Amino acid sequence: MEFRYVRAGIVLGGLVALVVTGCATGQKSTMGPAETVAERQRLMKNVGANWADIQAKVKAGNPEAVAANAEAISLHAQRIPGLFPEGSLTDKSKAKPEIWQKWPEFQAAAKNLENRAGTLRDQAVAKDAAAVTTTVGTFGRDACGACHTPFRVPPPQQQPAAPRT
Amino acid sequence: MNRKHLRTGIGLAGLVTLALASAATGQSTTKIWTSDVVADRQRLMKLNGASWADAQAKLKAGNAEAVAANAETMALTATMIPALFPEGSLTDKSKAKPEIWQKWPEFEAAAKNMGAQAEKLRDAARTKDLVATEAVAKDFGRQACGTCHQPFRVPPPQQQTPAPPPQPQPR
Repeated sequence: MEFRYVRAGIVLGGLVALVVTGCATGQKSTMGPAETVAERQRLMKNVGANWADIQAKVKAGNPEAVAANAEAISLHAQRIPGLFPEGSLTDKSKAKPEIWQKWPEFQAAAKNLENRAGTLRDQAVAKDAAAVTTTVGTFGRDACGACHTPFRVPPPQQQPAAPRT
Repeated sequence: MNRKHLRTGIGLAGLVTLALASAATGQSTTKIWTSDVVADRQRLMKLNGASWADAQAKLKAGNAEAVAANAETMALTATMIPALFPEGSLTDKSKAKPEIWQKWPEFEAAAKNMGAQAEKLRDAARTKDLVATEAVAKDFGRQACGTCHQPFRVPPPQQQTPAPPPQPQPR
C-alpha cells in the first residue's frame, strides 16, 4: 500500500522535473528542420566564401593574409555536427542520408576540416608562405571533398558528365 | 506516513530525471566547443578582430567585394555570442564586466546589433560599390564593436584613458 504512494510520487516528480528541464533547454529544440537547413547552408556558404578568399589571396601572392579565413573555417567546422540533427533532411537539403547512417564518420570528417583549417591558420600566422601554398593545393580535396564526396549530393555542375552516346 | 513515502518518491524521481536530462543536454548547455568557455569566446572574439582587420585591409586596397566574406563571418559569429557568456563564467582571465549578467537583455541586444551591422556591411560589399562599403565601414568600429565593448568589456590597457598626472605632494 505504501509502495503505491512511492510509485505515484515517482511518476509525479518525474513529470515535474521533465517539464522544468524541458523549459530550461527548450530553446535549442525550437529550430525546425527548415530553419536548421537554412542555418547550415548559410554556414557552409560562408565556409565556401572564406575558401574562395583564401584562394584569391594565394593567387595574388599574399598567402600570409589567409589566417583570418582559415580560423573562420576552423571555428565554423566545430558547429557542423550540431547543425545536422537527425530528421533534418528536407527537400532543400543536399545532405545524404549516409550522414546519419555513418554518424561517427561524419563527425570525423567535420573534425578533419577543423584540423586542416587550423593547420592552414598556423602556417599563415607563422608567415610560412610555402607551407600555406602547399596546404591550399590539396585543401579542396582533403578538407572539403573528404566530407562532400561521401555525404553531399553533388551540385549539378560538379556531376560527372553523362557518357556520350 | 503515506505522505512521507510519496515525498521520497517525488524526490527520487526528480533527481533521476534531472540527472538523465542534464546528461542528455549537458553538451549543449555547458559546453560550446571545449570545456573552457572563456577560451572559446576569446577565440571567437579574436576571429572577429581578425575578420574586421582583413576587411579594413581590403578596403584600403580598393577591394570592396572581398569584404563580404569577412562581414558574413562576423554576422555568423555574432549569433554565437550570448551562448558563450553563461552566468558564472567570469574568471580572472576574462575581460567581461559583470554588467553583462546584470543587464542581460541589453547584452543580447548588443550582440544582435553587431550581427545586423555586419549584415549591412556584407550587403554593401556585395554591391561591389567601394564608396558605399566604406561608408558602412567608417562607423562599424564604433557602432558594431564599441556599443558592446564600452558597456560590457574592461578596456585593454592601451585603450584606457591615461591616468591623471600624479599631484605633487604638498610638504
